[in-house]
Formats: sequence, structure tokens, C-alpha cells
Amino acid sequence: MARMKFICDTERCIECNSCATACKNEHEVPWGVNRRRVVTVNDGVIGQEKTISVACMHCSDAPCMAVCPVDCFYRTDEGVVLHNKDTCIGCGYCSYACPFGAPQFPSNGTFGLRGKMDKCTFCAGGPEENGSKAEFEKYGRNRLAEGKLPLCAEMCSTKALLGGDGDAIADIFRSRVMRRGKGSEVWGWGTAYGKSPNPNATAPAAATAAPASFTEGKK
Amino acid sequence: MQLTRKGHSGQRTPSRFSSSLSDTLSRALPTMDRRTFLKRSGIGVGAGIAASQLSLIKRANASAAAGDGKGKIEVKRTVCTHCSVGCAVDAVVENGVWVRQEPVFDSPINLGAHCAKGAALREHGHGEYRLKYPMKLVNGKYQRISWDVALKEVSEKLLALRKESGPDSVFFVGSSKHNNEQSQMLRKFVSFFGTNNCDHQARICHSTTVAGVANTWGYGAMTNSYNDMQNAKAALYIGSNAAEAHPVSMLHMLHAKENGTKMIVCDPRFTRTAAKADQYIRFRSGSDVALLFGIAYHIFKNGWEDKKYINDRVYGMDKVREEVMKWTPEKVEEVSGVPEAEVFKAAETMAKNRPSTIVWCMGQTQHTIGNAMVRASCIVQLILGNVGVSGGGTNIFRGHDNVQGATDVGPNPDSLPGYYGLATGAWKHWSTVWGVDYEWVKKQFASQAMMEKSGTTVSRWVDAVLEKNEYIDQDSNVKGVVFWGHAPNSQTRGLDMKKALDKLDLLVVIDPYPSATAAMAAMQVDGQELNPNRAVYLLPAATQFETSGSVTASNRSLQWREKVIEPLFESRTDHMIMYQLAEKLGFGKELVAKIKLVPGKGGMMEPEPESMLEEINRGTWTIGYTGQSPARLKAHMRNMHMFDVKTLKCKGGKDPVTGYDMTGDYFGLPWPCYGTAAIKHPGSPNLYDTSKHVMDGGGNFRANFGVEKDGVNLLAEDGSHSLGAEITTGYPEFDHILLKKLGWWDDLTEAEKKAAEGKNWKTDLSGGIQRVAMKHGCHPFGNAKARAVVWNFPDPVPLHREPLYGTRPDLVAKYPTHDDKKAFWRLPTLYKSVQQKNVENKLYEKFPIILTSGRLVEYEGGGEETRSNPWLAELQQENFVEINPKAASDRGIRNGEYVIVSTPTGARLKVRALVTPRVGPDTAFIPFHFSGWWQGKDMKDAYPEGAMPVVRGEAVNTATTYGYDSVTMMQETKTTICNIERFAA
Amino acid sequence: QEAAKPAAQPIPAAAPAPAVESVDIMKQNQAERSRDQPGNNAPVWRAVKEGQQHYSSLPAPEAGVLIQAKEQFPGQARATSAGEAWRQYRNGPLTSYGGWLLILAVLGIAAVYLLRGQIKLNAPRTGRLIERFTSLERVTHWTMALSFLALALTGLTMLFGKHVLMPLFGHTLFGWLAYACKNVHNFVGPLFTASVIVFFVMFVRDNLPGKGDLDWLKKLGGARGHASAGRFNAGEKIWFWGGVTVLGLIVSGSGFVLDKIVPNLEYTRALMQYANVIHLVAAVLVFAMSLAHIYIGTIGMEGAYDAMRTGYVDDAWAKEHHDLWYEQIEKGEIPRVRTAEGAKVIQPAKAV
Ligand SMILES: Nc1nc2c(c(=O)[nH]1)N[C@H]1C(S)=C(S)[C@@H](COP(=O)(O)OP(=O)(O)OC[C@H]3O[C@@H](n4cnc5c(=O)[nH]c(N)nc54)[C@H](O)[C@@H]3O)O[C@H]1N2
Ligand SMILES: Nc1nc2c(c(=O)[nH]1)N[C@H]1C(S)=C(S)[C@@H](COP(=O)(O)OP(=O)(O)OC[C@H]3O[C@@H](n4cnc5c(=O)[nH]c(N)nc54)[C@H](O)[C@@H]3O)O[C@H]1N2
Ligand code: HEM
Ligand code: HEM
Ligand code: SF4
Ligand code: SF4
Ligand code: SF4
Ligand code: SF4
Ligand code: SF4
Ligand SMILES: [Mo]
Repeated sequence: MARMKFICDTERCIECNSCATACKNEHEVPWGVNRRRVVTVNDGVIGQEKTISVACMHCSDAPCMAVCPVDCFYRTDEGVVLHNKDTCIGCGYCSYACPFGAPQFPSNGTFGLRGKMDKCTFCAGGPEENGSKAEFEKYGRNRLAEGKLPLCAEMCSTKALLGGDGDAIADIFRSRVMRRGKGSEVWGWGTAYGKSPNPNATAPAAATAAPASFTEGKK
Repeated sequence: MQLTRKGHSGQRTPSRFSSSLSDTLSRALPTMDRRTFLKRSGIGVGAGIAASQLSLIKRANASAAAGDGKGKIEVKRTVCTHCSVGCAVDAVVENGVWVRQEPVFDSPINLGAHCAKGAALREHGHGEYRLKYPMKLVNGKYQRISWDVALKEVSEKLLALRKESGPDSVFFVGSSKHNNEQSQMLRKFVSFFGTNNCDHQARICHSTTVAGVANTWGYGAMTNSYNDMQNAKAALYIGSNAAEAHPVSMLHMLHAKENGTKMIVCDPRFTRTAAKADQYIRFRSGSDVALLFGIAYHIFKNGWEDKKYINDRVYGMDKVREEVMKWTPEKVEEVSGVPEAEVFKAAETMAKNRPSTIVWCMGQTQHTIGNAMVRASCIVQLILGNVGVSGGGTNIFRGHDNVQGATDVGPNPDSLPGYYGLATGAWKHWSTVWGVDYEWVKKQFASQAMMEKSGTTVSRWVDAVLEKNEYIDQDSNVKGVVFWGHAPNSQTRGLDMKKALDKLDLLVVIDPYPSATAAMAAMQVDGQELNPNRAVYLLPAATQFETSGSVTASNRSLQWREKVIEPLFESRTDHMIMYQLAEKLGFGKELVAKIKLVPGKGGMMEPEPESMLEEINRGTWTIGYTGQSPARLKAHMRNMHMFDVKTLKCKGGKDPVTGYDMTGDYFGLPWPCYGTAAIKHPGSPNLYDTSKHVMDGGGNFRANFGVEKDGVNLLAEDGSHSLGAEITTGYPEFDHILLKKLGWWDDLTEAEKKAAEGKNWKTDLSGGIQRVAMKHGCHPFGNAKARAVVWNFPDPVPLHREPLYGTRPDLVAKYPTHDDKKAFWRLPTLYKSVQQKNVENKLYEKFPIILTSGRLVEYEGGGEETRSNPWLAELQQENFVEINPKAASDRGIRNGEYVIVSTPTGARLKVRALVTPRVGPDTAFIPFHFSGWWQGKDMKDAYPEGAMPVVRGEAVNTATTYGYDSVTMMQETKTTICNIERFAA
Repeated sequence: QEAAKPAAQPIPAAAPAPAVESVDIMKQNQAERSRDQPGNNAPVWRAVKEGQQHYSSLPAPEAGVLIQAKEQFPGQARATSAGEAWRQYRNGPLTSYGGWLLILAVLGIAAVYLLRGQIKLNAPRTGRLIERFTSLERVTHWTMALSFLALALTGLTMLFGKHVLMPLFGHTLFGWLAYACKNVHNFVGPLFTASVIVFFVMFVRDNLPGKGDLDWLKKLGGARGHASAGRFNAGEKIWFWGGVTVLGLIVSGSGFVLDKIVPNLEYTRALMQYANVIHLVAAVLVFAMSLAHIYIGTIGMEGAYDAMRTGYVDDAWAKEHHDLWYEQIEKGEIPRVRTAEGAKVIQPAKAV
């Protein structure tokens, strides 16, 4: 069974915000809720600037899931971390726990009034029936059920953002790394999946040459 | 691999019934094969993935599964309206409502990719903040009126102005957002009104490029394509921030980089584009000629120039070389601030990694010497022999989605469609094409002289209103302005513009989002005189998603947009409005003499876009807009998957609907696509490319400037010609005489002969001359040399001249600007007097920071459309000034606080400080997309009700200063001066 | 051609052996690193992991933070992303030790009750009453007590509910319950705080340390012989100061932060994590203490509950448990009756 993951290729990401906007469009996400956002590290510093698009990474051992007082998270067969808005009490704990700042709330939280948590669904909807109106209204479109991939990745201007089966996108990424000979770190994977990407995949030279450098922040 | 099943492995335990239901459902849903997966992951680019795709029908089913399954679902293919890249979009429409937007992976241009603006297109289908019905300004407030009243009053006022002050008293600001059909019709409309006072965005965008480049080698367009940049081994971006302004072009460039292409970015700011470069060169705004000639200096010095190419295909390089060799490394550093080593490195990279390409955009064009800067870029490419080569060329990234098309066939003050100019012959040509009598057209004008005199430009309409009557080169001042798809905050000198707006007798704004102009007209400025008789009307136009038509992308490819939805609210299509206004103005019949009318909104008749395109096809021989028939374009749109991503060439295949065989066609038939559609010219992917046969899109430089100059041959040298040409040396452009001389006249059919007699390749309406020339492998426009020296320009060899407003009086002494001009595009235009005065007044002490401006990826142009789109507006909520940490700390300014940016015009902009090393300490940058604040105040109350954009802010152009290009009247927006201080509440 | 090279040796970072990586390399910025080891982005990733705010055009707080900064709560073996550290802490020690503490507290009290039974009055009631708490004092106490209980039960439902209640009620029902609990908790919190403040003002004077307190403690509140006490004994004072005042205010303060109602604060996730940890620790402690208090106030001691229910105590009770206070009343230093209402109740009694 495919394991869904994201890779944001920082050698390609240009802070165009297409991913963030595509998500808003596809799921009618309201103002103030940002399932995906784009961050630039070392903004404007010559030779040091890198841009990264970030959303829920659908972690293997998801902290959000662990702290939720009402256990509204669940994981699909594809490893997508989804949640049930019907049970969510809007306590905000998932957002405190999430390393990536993925969980979002429609309101500011005064007196704990945050509304139901919303976050990236990997375009896989929620517990309602696939493609139903109820599912759309609560969670947005269910593209996976339609045989499509996350729209943010599909619309990424430079194809920096890859979303899909972890092994497959790691292969794609690796082939780019091999061609350009740099930018081999897969951002966020260490934090989200607790290990370097795709250690078992038999990849050409690259993987065996330096598997360790496939993880972020090596030194 | 099956990627679609919904999992139940969570703690959630659905009831048995619902779980079995969803099991069945998930089995019924489509799965994704590996190929589709890879494509959807975006690996199509050059990675050898076969281009198969879900068919449209399957796609519709997929979306049907997503909807509630009841509605009628259609998929309409359209093209993003926010920039010249031309990204295709599939709009899913359910019961007439635009419900979803899907990427078009098949598009060879964007492979499904978008930037933020493209990803937010569907908002156009809602248009919450649009003008919903016609309105009129009454006592400072906008009031709703009916279309009938609006059309009646507007036409009456126009006729009155025409009668009292002559047709030249009205200025029409057209639009690069109109499709080709509307653009061409607007030029016709203005002509029939009797004036050349019309213009559009290109003036303040790439006019210097068009003039400079066309005068160098023939056509003023991007020579290659975004796709072709994959073939470049090196790319020099100078004055282009493609990552924000043409984001999807970066898809091709970054892919190329992965294959070893070296990327150099020269920009005063360290932009998002620069962040991706192998070499970044920071230099002083306005010093492009120095930098480019500095690069050329090293090329010459090391003997890296392409000597044979220069000999065979370039005129005047020796003169240029003399000027270039004056740009020693010390001088280059003095003027541009770039040390020798960096310049050398760039020169070496460009020379040793050929084919290398150069990319420029607004950083070069928007200067008083823009025409010189762009020619300096051309010269570098000519020296390297890079023009006319795949992977080389001058990749001039155009602006608006259809600025290329609107420039080609739209409302230009100095030309009829197709760059025919305004001479009698041109008028006769177009009168025939339009099916009207030349004499009748002439009578519409004040005189034949005015008919053949270039009009005022959009950059200067303000002065045409305000200038003393005796100084202007037409009878009356401009008293009426029609803004037909253009924002006010995109023109410089906002303070003056407000004065002009208040002085007008008539202001008509025809726009889906006319609110920036509306608010600026309605707001009150203390102590400013207001014309008590002024009339202001707002007419809601439909967007390009509410009509169909063709649009020309930067690479000259034409794409056909299908109509996505019906015009929203009370809006009407631009061509319907043109037709209805023309009827009231008395030339309705003439406007559509050769055009089919079809029922449009509410059953009212409107010109049919296909028929309008056919009129363009019939008339635009000069630049080859003749082969792109609606049928061919539609076939391309339906079969995008058949075109190669790198070459744009159709690998072979027939359109299943019409049976049309597209084999060999280039996607969108990039112009020139010569001859009639029947002869199937494939379009020209790269201009002037001699390695291809002309019938395979090959070419050579154009013979547009005679055959010799002062005894020097201007035609190509022996052996230099496009592949397979029967004439193996240079030759002039084709006309009936040349055909006869060559003995090719009899290749024409009898009918063609009749039409071609006395005509040339541009005016022969049968297309016979073009057909025969190409049959013999020759280029209809001749085969000549490119001109490194453009003798008809003020600076034949590009010279560096300091901007009018600068911080370097020392350099003004060495590189002064031009002398003042008296009647230039109908207006006196100042250079030296302004520059001298500024130096005398020591403005550089009061305003010590260079102010430049440009783009943010989220917004477009004046920004009214995009700032009304909440998905985009959320991403940039306030205007700001980029200021270097050092400059900020000198002034006690902290990141995020309000500052006042003041300029010599007296403007005081209140914006947030973005303290960032993106700019150096001597430079500041403000994005230009904002409006709605005026000198620190929110103009909320001045907006028509319900049509205020979500985000408003201070417009940088309120503060920009005087200064215009010496050839095209381009406004100077990229280099002026300012001071920045903390805002004290 | 330079660019073709990497295919063979794709990942430059692998080339230099780790031995060269000295402290200096840790100090390199990205530009320097790119120069020395092209393609090595480690400095950027380090910056990312340090959890700084980077640039994001979104004005949302922390929009620019990619990964939360590292954190190591007391007792944790290593630092992890703050969210993860907090999760480990809350779901680990705080939940389990907290849970055990409460279970032990209940067991302890049960044991005391079983072994010791109710503390009976030794002397028979005299029938003479003293007005110990005015109705205002009682209203305040009960407001505080009931809001506390509401908070404790709702709060603990949020903490332990999914382990204890969800298996019983099922997901949906528990979801509703938790939702109600959360909202009750969020709005009752400030009421509790207000009552604590009023209560504090009312009773602080009688809770100042006084003579006898040490003695009372030494005698374990009477377990080892009679322990004298003033109006409030040392145990109550500890409850007053330690439980209600200090822990109550800690719980309140952190609660206000969790409620996001403290003005001019930047509500970062780190702040919320700290607030939660503080809130939880204090809440569990104060709840454990309150169990003891409630026990003594109800079944633990004969006559105590009357004081809080009616406001009056019998002379016998006063003499037995608060002898110093009783002496003062007898001496007339403290009035036996403090309110008109009290006078009505006590007069007839006197007449009897
Ligand atoms: N997001 C977005 N995209 C757009 C548009 C938009 O409004 N928004 N508009 C479209 C249009 S109409 C156009 S014309 C294009 C424009 O596209 P670009 O020209 O790429 O965009 P700009 O930001 O105007 O300017 C480019 C760069 O020029 C630099 N510059 C400033 N002064 C100088 C100078 O003296 N010399 C040089 N060499 N560079 C200088 C600026 O720092 C800036 O980074 O974008 C198109 N695409
Ligand atoms: N300071 C500074 N100034 C600049 C620039 C800069 O870099 N710095 N750049 C310059 C450049 S390159 C350009 S191109 C200009 C751009 O400036 P403008 O072209 O003036 O800006 P837009 O907002 O794109 O204007 C297009 C208008 O057309 C309307 N519109 C959209 N579709 C349609 C349609 O189908 N029909 C009709 N009738 N209207 C439609 C939109 O609502 C909008 O009001 O700004 C120039 N000004
Ligand atoms: C149902 C539960 C409760 C009962 C039956 C109860 C009972 C009592 C009684 C009988 C007294 C008086 C003791 C005396 O006369 O000396 C008292 C005092 C007090 N109670 Fe409670 N109580 C309860 C809950 C609480 C709670 C939840 C709190 C705190 C949050 C609290 C705080 C106090 C305080 C501070 C005093 C006074 C002690 C002093 O000032 O030193 N009580 N309670
Ligand atoms: C005094 C007794 C109190 C107790 C025993 C108590 C207990 C708790 C507990 C156990 C939690 C759950 C923590 C977790 O699951 O990690 C919690 C959460 C919380 N408490 Fe309290 N609390 C008390 C008082 C207060 C007060 C006075 C306030 C506010 C002024 C307050 C505001 C909150 C808030 C805002 C939360 C977060 C819950 C949410 O928003 O969903 N609490 N409390
Ligand atoms: S990224 Fe955050 S929200 Fe997503 S699974 Fe991981 S912890 Fe949960
Ligand atoms: S906000 Fe909702 S999803 Fe997040 S932890 Fe609380 S209940 Fe769970
Ligand atoms: S995967 Fe879907 S839901 Fe998640 S960020 Fe992308 S578009 Fe939004
Ligand atoms: S769409 Fe792609 S390039 Fe643009 S910001 Fe998102 S990840 Fe980066
Ligand atoms: S604005 Fe340009 S790059 Fe962006 S989606 Fe539209 S056409 Fe493509
Ligand atoms: Mo432009």
C-alpha cells in the first residue's frame, strides 16, 4: 500500500504561493485558515535564501493524534492523517503539538473559541462518504478518491512540491538530485517520519553513495 | 499501485453498513496507473514520460463523481489572464457555475503548473467585488443606472466632445487584457471615432523593447520561448524577476539548470529569481548599458565574439565595438558598482556556454534610456552569435496575458494593426480588410494630417489634459478619457493624474473592476479645483472567462479560450459594448461590416469572436497572423498532448474532431505563421533561425531598413540564409516586382496574380506572394543583417545616460541625459532641464535613496482584480517598502512599522517597512500593485458600493517622478529617488 | 562541461570525511558552506530546526516557523521539537503521575476513613451557636467550591476522558461530552478566579500565621493530642495559602493564558505548552489537596459541614477544634454574632 508523503524541493521552490492558493481554491478554505503556507529562510541573504512550502506532513507517529483529548484523528491505509470534525472540540492541542504548525482554526481562540480544527487532508477528505457534499463542506474535495493527487503539488509552478506515494516521489526527487548534484536533503522527513526517506528503495548510485545526507540538518 | 482507497485503519469504527458502502464505493472509483501518477507529480518535463492523459470525457466523469452527481458538468479549456506565460486551465462548470479548476498537464507551456494567480482563477467565476451594474458619479457618490441610460449618455457626451473640440479631444486607453479580437476591434473603433489617441499597457511595459528590438532585427518580440530555454547552456537574466513575474517560466529554467545550464541574474535586488542563480550580480538601478557593455568588453577583449556571424548577419558592429571598448572595467565599476571579476565571470559564462540566452523585462525597459538598454542586450547576443539559435535568442518576457497580441493588432497610437503604421497605404490596406471606404474613414478624422500623425501615449495623457494648449501638437487638449481595461495607478505621477482626472469633462471606465479609477476620480483633494461639469461613468465589462477568443503568449503562440461562464451580473463583453457604443456613435454598421453577429448576453447581438479573428487573419500579413485560423487554434487546444515540451512541435497526429493533421505544427502557431491557413505554415518557434526551412518555422533577419546604408551592404552576406532557400545570399523583401524579376510570378494562380499586382508581401491580400516566396524556401520579409547601429534613434549606438532623478551628480556630469524635445508624440518632453534643475537643487541630498518598483507574485498590474480575490489578498495584506537593514537602522526604522516614503513630487506614502537585505543600502523597493490609500488616507468612501477590493494600500505611482524614454515615451518607473523616515502618528 | 559531472558522484556532502567537521563548520553560514561544499545545505536546515521565525508574507503568528524549536522539559532525556516534547511530557509523566497521584489521594482518604472513621465531637453539643461564616462568606465559598468542582471535573475529562470515559461512552457521545466540558471549563474559569480573589480578601486576616500553628502541625492536627488553633488551624491555612491562593492563582493565571485573554501577549505555541504544563501540574495538585479538604469538610469531621452549610457552629465544636478562637469569642474579642441575620438565628437559641 502506498504511503503518502510530501517533498518540497528547496532547490526549485520560488515562493510563488501557488500551492497555498490552489489549496484555498480547491477546498474553499476560509480567510485566516492556511492549510499550506510558504516560508523563506534567510530571506534576501545572498547565497543563503531557501524557500519551503509546508503543510501537514502526515507524520508516522503523529503528535497531533497523540494529544487530541477526543481522539478525532485517524490514519488511512495510505498513511494520510485525517480527523473528524464532528468530534473535534477545538481545544487547540493538536496545534501545540504539531512540529509544522499544520492545524488551523477559523477563529482566534479567545475563551477557547477556536472552532473546529482544519488542516491539510492530503486532498483526501474526511470520514464522510467519499465525494459527498457533507465531506466537501467539512473537509474539502477528496481528490485521492477521484484518482488524483493533492492539488497543491499538481499546480506547483516549478514542480518543487511533490505529493504522492513516498517511494515514488523519493525516486523522482533522487533523479533530480543526481542530475544537479545538490540539494539532496528532503526537508521535514526526519521530523515527520522519524527516519531518512525511503531507506529500502534500491536507487541508483545516489542512495548507496550517501544515504545519510538524505536527511535534513545532518551537521 | 492503487492510490485511491480510503483507509479505515484508524481508531474510528464505522458501522458495518457504512463501511461496506464505502468499500464498494472505493472499488468503483478510478485508480491511478504509474504513468498518470508520474505525470501528476509533474515529472513530465523532459524526463521522457509518454504524454498520455485522462481524456476530457473521463475527466468530466471524475468531476461528476465529485459533485452531487445531478448537475450538468462541462469542462472548458481556458488560459490564465494574469501574465504572458499563458498557462492553460480546465474549468469545471456545473450548471453554469464555475465549480472547480483542474490543471492541464497536457499543456506544453505549463504542464499543469501555475503561480498563485493562476491557481486562484476560479474566483473570477464569483467576482464578489466586481462592479455589478453601470454607475454614474452624482454629487461625489456613485449611483446605479441602466445600461440604456449609460450608453445613451456616454455616446451623447462623446459626440458632443467630438463636435466641439474635435475627435482628438478624446483619449482611449485600451487594454492588453482584451483578447486579440477585441484589441483589433478597439483599434478600428477608435479609428472610426476619428483619432489616433489610443494606447494600452504595452506603452508602459515593453514599448522600448518593441521599438528597440524591431529596429535591430525586424520583429519586436521574444525570439524564442520559455520552453526553448531548456536548450540554453547559460542564461543571463537582467531586469527580470521571473520567479515572481513569470513563475511558470522557472519550471523550464530550473529543469534546464538540473541539466547543467548556468544561470546568472543581474538585478539591483536579490530577488527570488536571483536566489536560484549560479551567479548574482547586484548593480545600481539604471546602469544596464554600462554593465552590458562591460560584459561585451570582456567578450571582445578575449576574442570570444562570433566573428563569422557578425560578418554575415550584423551591420555596424565595428562602431559598437568602439563604444564598448570605452567601457573599461574601472568605468563599469564606477557607473554600475560591479567589480571587474564579476563582470568577467558573467562574460565568460555566456561566451563559453553557448548557446546562451538573455532574458530581460521591466528592469531594462522602464527608463528614459530604455530603448538603449534593450539594444545593448541585443548587441551582446549578436556579438555571441546567439540570435536565431535554439537555446539562444533574446527571451523578452512579455507582461499581460495578451500584451503581445494587443501590441500586434491592438490600439497603438502610431500604428494600425500589424505594425502597418499610419501612412496612407496602411489606412487603405486596413480599410479594405475592414470592408469600409478609405474616404469615409478619412472624413471621421480632423484632417488627413491628424490621421497620419501618431497620437498621445497612455504615459502622457495626463499632460495632454493639463499642458498649456499652445504647447501641444493637436488642436484641443484632451477632455475626455475612456479607460477600457487599464488601471490608473500603473501610470507615474499620480498627483498630477489626480489633477487631470478632476479637470476632465468626461471619464468613462469600462472594466470588470473599474474601482481604482472610480475611487481616484471620486475622492476629494483639498484645495484642488474640480471641473463642475465633469461626468464619470462606470460600465461593467465581462472578463475573458465570460467570452471566447484568442490570446498571444510571450512566445508568440496563440491560444484559444473557450467561454467558461456567461457574463456575470449585468456585465457585457467588451466587443458587445464596442458594438453597442458604435451604433450610438453612428458607425455600428461599419464596425462590423465584415463580421458575423451572433446573439450574446440576453439575446443582444454581438460580433462573433471567430469571425473577428478571421478579420485579423485577412489583414495581418506583416507579422504572420494569417495562418492562425480559429479552426487550427481550436485543434491545438484540444490536442495539447501532441506537442513536445522542449520544441513545442507536434510529433504527429490528427485532431479527432476535425481530422486536421497537426504534424509539424508548433504549438499555438507562434507568429509569424505566414500565408493563409491552407498552406499550413507551422508557426515560428524561434525567430531568425537559419537552421530550419522557412516552411518549418525557420528564418533570418528582416530586410526592413533598405538594402544598403552609406554604401555598406545591409543584406545578409553570401551563404547566410535559411535552410533550403533558393536564394543563397541576402535579399530584400518580396513584392510583385521582385517576384517577376526572379521569374517566380507565374507560380501565382490567376486569382493571386490579380490580387498581388502592385502589392508587396504585406499588402497582398491573397497571400500569394508569401506562398510563392516560401515555396522557394525564401522568407517573405527578405534576408538582411541585424542592425547593431540603429541610425534613426537618438542614440544610434546605445549610450549610458543618467536618469533624470538620481543620487549621483558626479555621473550626471559625465553621462548627461538628452536635450529637451518640443513635440514628441504631440507633447513637449523634458530631459536636460529637469536633470539640471535636480542637480542644482541638490535633490540627491534630500532624497538620498534610489526608489525602484515592481512586482509581487500574488498581485497583477494595478492590482484591482487580484486584490479583490480573497485567496490572493490574504497573502499580501499591506503595501511595504523594502529597505536595507543598514539604511533602516540609520533612520531608526524597525521591521514592520509604518514609514513615510517621500519623493520630490511632494508625495508622502505611508507603507510598512520590510527591513531586508534583498536591497542594498542605497536602494528601496515598493511593489506597485496597490491603490486605495492616498497620501496616508484610506479612500474607502470613494469606492462604488460593493466594489471595493479586499486589500488596499498606498500606490507607489502616487509618488513616481517625471521621465520618459526618448523613443517611445515609456515612463521611468524603475529609477527615481526618495527619502524614508519613521511614521510619527 | 561542468554540469554533467554530478551524475557519477551525486551527493557532494558525502565527499569530505566527517573528521574534518570541526566547530568551525558548525559556524559556517549557507553562503560559506555552498562555497566549500557546493550543494550542502546543512546550515539552512540547522536554522530551520532551531525554530526561528523566517519570512512568510502571511501575518499569522508563527507563520514563518517551519519546525518548532527544540525543547526539553524537566526529566526528559533529550531535546526534541517542542511539540513533540510537550506531547511526551503531557501524555507521559503528567498524565500518568497525575493520574496516580489522584488515585493515591482517593485511596489514602479511603484508608483514613476506614481506619480512623469520622472525627466525632468528644463533648456533647451545647446548643449554643456561634456565627462562624456569614452568608456572604458562605456564598463566596460555595461559588468557589462549585466552580472549582466544575473545572476539575471538566478539566480532568479533557485530560483523562479518552482513557476512562471514551471506552465507556463511545466516540461520538464522548465527543459531545468533551465539547461541553471544554466550554464549561473555559467560561467557568474566570468565575473561579474571581471567587478566589474575593475569598482571599475576606479570609486573609484569619489565615495569617499565628501562635499555635507550629504546635498544631507538630501534633499532626490533633492526631497526637489536642492541638490548639485559632479561627483556622494550620491545616486550613495551608489549604488557604498553598491550595487556594498559590495553586489557585497559578491555575488561574495559566488558565487565562490558555484562554488567550491576557492582553498584549504573543500567543505562541511554546507559551501555550508551558501554560498547559503549569496548569496541569497545579491543577492536579490542587485537586488532590481539595479531595482531602472536601473529605474533612464532609464525612471526615463531624460538624464541619454544618459550618459551611448553615454558617453556625456549636460551642462544643468550636472549643474542640478552634480553642483559641473560642476563647476570643468568650472573651468578647470576637463577636459571637456578626450580622443581623445571625442575630435572628442566635438570639432565640440564647434564650433557650
Ligand atoms: N505577479 C505578477 N506577474 C506579472 C505581472 C504582475 O503584475 N504581477 N505583470 C506582468 C507584466 S505586465 C510585466 S511587464 C512583467 C514584468 O516582469 P518583471 O520585469 O520581471 O518584473 P518587475 O518586478 O517589474 O521588474 C523586474 C526587476 O527589475 C529590477 N530592476 C529595477 N531597476 C532596474 C534596473 O535599472 N535595471 C535592471 N536590470 N533591473 C532593474 C527590479 O529589482 C525587479 O526585480 O510581469 C508580468 N507578470
Ligand atoms: N511604478 C511602476 N509602475 C508600473 C510598473 C512598474 O513596474 N512600476 N509596471 C508597468 C507595467 S509593465 C504595466 S503592464 C502596467 C500594468 O498596469 P495596468 O495594466 O494598468 O494594470 P492592470 O491592473 O492589469 O489593468 C488592467 C485592467 O483591466 C481590467 N480587465 C481585466 N480583464 C478585462 C477585460 O476583459 N476587459 C476589460 N475591459 N477590462 C479588463 C482589470 O480589471 C484592470 O482594471 O503598469 C505599469 N506601471
Ligand atoms: C463540596 C466540597 C466542599 C466542602 C464540603 C467544603 C467544606 C468546607 C468547610 C466545612 C469549611 C469550613 C471549615 C471550617 O469551618 O474551618 C471550608 C472552608 C474552606 N474551604 Fe471548603 N469545602 C468544599 C470545597 C472547597 C473547595 C473546592 C475549595 C477551594 C477551591 C474550598 C476552599 C475552602 C477554604 C479556602 C476554606 C477556608 C479555610 C481557610 O480559610 O483557612 N472548599 N470548606
Ligand atoms: C482550579 C481548578 C482547575 C482545574 C483543576 C483545571 C484543570 C484543567 C485540566 C485538567 C485541564 C486539561 C489539561 C490537559 O488536558 O492537558 C485544563 C485545561 C484548561 N483550563 Fe483548567 N483547570 C482549573 C482552572 C482553570 C481556570 C481558573 C481557568 C481559566 C481562567 C482554566 C482554563 C483552562 C483552559 C483554557 C484549559 C484548556 C482547555 C481548552 O481550551 O480546551 N482552568 N484545566
Ligand atoms: S504534521 Fe502536524 S498535523 Fe500533520 S500529522 Fe504531523 S503532527 Fe499531525
Ligand atoms: S482541536 Fe480538535 S483535533 Fe485538535 S486536539 Fe483538540 S479536539 Fe483534537
Ligand atoms: S494536499 Fe490538499 S489539502 Fe493538503 S495542502 Fe495540498 S491542496 Fe491543501
Ligand atoms: S507552488 Fe511550488 S514553487 Fe510555488 S511556493 Fe509552492 S512549493 Fe514553492
Ligand atoms: S500568472 Fe502567468 S505564470 Fe501565473 S498561472 Fe497565470 S499565466 Fe501562468
Ligand atoms: Mo507590463
